Amino acid sequence: MTQRDEQQDPFVLWRQWYEANQNAWGKGVADATGTEAFAEMQGKMLESLVAFQKTMRDMSRAGLEALDLPTREDIARLGEIVLGLEEKIDQLPDRLARLERPPTRSGPRSAAKKKTAAKRR
Amino acid sequence: MSEGPALTMADAVWTSAERFVEMTRLVATAPEAPVGQTPKETIWRKNKARLYRYVRATPATRRTPVVLILPLINRAYILDLRPGASFVEHLLAEGHEVFLLDWGIWAPEDRNIDITALVTRYIPRAVREASSVVDAPVTVLGYCIGGALAACYAALGRDEPIANLVLFTTPIDFADAGKFGLWTAKGVFPIDGIRDAYDVVPAGLIQYGAKLLNGPLADMGTFVQLAERMQAPGFDAEAWRSMFRWVNEPTPFPAAAYHQWITEFYQDNKLVRGSLKMDGRPVRLGSITVPFLNVAATADTIAPRPTTQAIMRKVGSADRDEILVEGGHVGIVVGRTAKRDLWPRVTDWLAEHDDR
Repeated sequence: MTQRDEQQDPFVLWRQWYEANQNAWGKGVADATGTEAFAEMQGKMLESLVAFQKTMRDMSRAGLEALDLPTREDIARLGEIVLGLEEKIDQLPDRLARLERPPTRSGPRSAAKKKTAAKRR
Repeated sequence: MSEGPALTMADAVWTSAERFVEMTRLVATAPEAPVGQTPKETIWRKNKARLYRYVRATPATRRTPVVLILPLINRAYILDLRPGASFVEHLLAEGHEVFLLDWGIWAPEDRNIDITALVTRYIPRAVREASSVVDAPVTVLGYCIGGALAACYAALGRDEPIANLVLFTTPIDFADAGKFGLWTAKGVFPIDGIRDAYDVVPAGLIQYGAKLLNGPLADMGTFVQLAERMQAPGFDAEAWRSMFRWVNEPTPFPAAAYHQWITEFYQDNKLVRGSLKMDGRPVRLGSITVPFLNVAATADTIAPRPTTQAIMRKVGSADRDEILVEGGHVGIVVGRTAKRDLWPRVTDWLAEHDDR
């Protein structure tokens, strides 16, 4: 591409603008975001965001409850009950495996052996 | 080719308007980019989680299968991005049976699922299932947060069917966790408020943090680079689309798991201090005695080097190795150079630790 074409190419201009800005304040921003002051400021912003989110959530829940409609929490709770059942079913093979597993040396079998040995003595 | 005021041939093909249209097409169609195409079957499921077994065209030539454990905040197809750029495909080609634990997309009913539940109730069952299918102990390979979960599981699982443990860019020691550590510090980060406000922490909130790490112009840099690379001979548009899709498809995080991740791992650094307990049992990295491989990146901003190197001191394995690769958190694992710089080294290590 000739110099004249480059001057006409908006992508080249865009890249030059990006590089100039990235070099000029990219490092500054990177340094600033690595400070405790930034972390505190961001924490405050997040705090406001989550407080707003919680307020909206509480309001929508109150509204739905007033209308006798199931809330998001009701549906989530239902899902949790299903997950709890699934977990109980998943535990069955684990429990069966434990029951079928031969006892370890320190387990009942070795205890029984010790008893037998003691009787023989 | 003529010079001067007339447009050159290249300009004729790549006028600014055409390039802009092509860029727009690539970005707009990225969400439909084909990903995760290696054939697989689901062999186990629990809640949203799925354990896939990848279909082999020929019998496995390695004895030890590999179970991949992915991070909670990204789609699982990252390790099987597309044909020719798939770690799964590479493992299959090297003769392994390959399994992948996909966490799925968490929903509000998963709000009380914490890291402990994942480590003690999801991973063990998935690993046992994989092991029973092929009747052999497995190599557990965890990536990022998935690696931290895998390490906890291996630390607790003395009787579990684990042959080897491999971690990819996994933060373990949070004493010096870079900007993430600073931003999530006690008294600064409203972690309790987040748990109270959300059932699942929105993917956007987590992605915001990741983007902030790279600076405010990072997104623009992506497009500036695209405009440049599009003109280069051999530009792989499919590769760009699939990676762009993955970066922009994060997943939400169950609120309880996020709370535990931030408080017990980042803020209290319990895993390295040895004070982490799961289901009442202490999680001690020193209890990991299986052969261990740690893969870390030199320029990782998500899991900075201090967070990834402590495990080499803490793990109890007598047989331990580390591969340190030039690059960033994602780039070294799935970037253009991963196939050359990392994957063969990992499969060489797996081959050395295959027939025990």
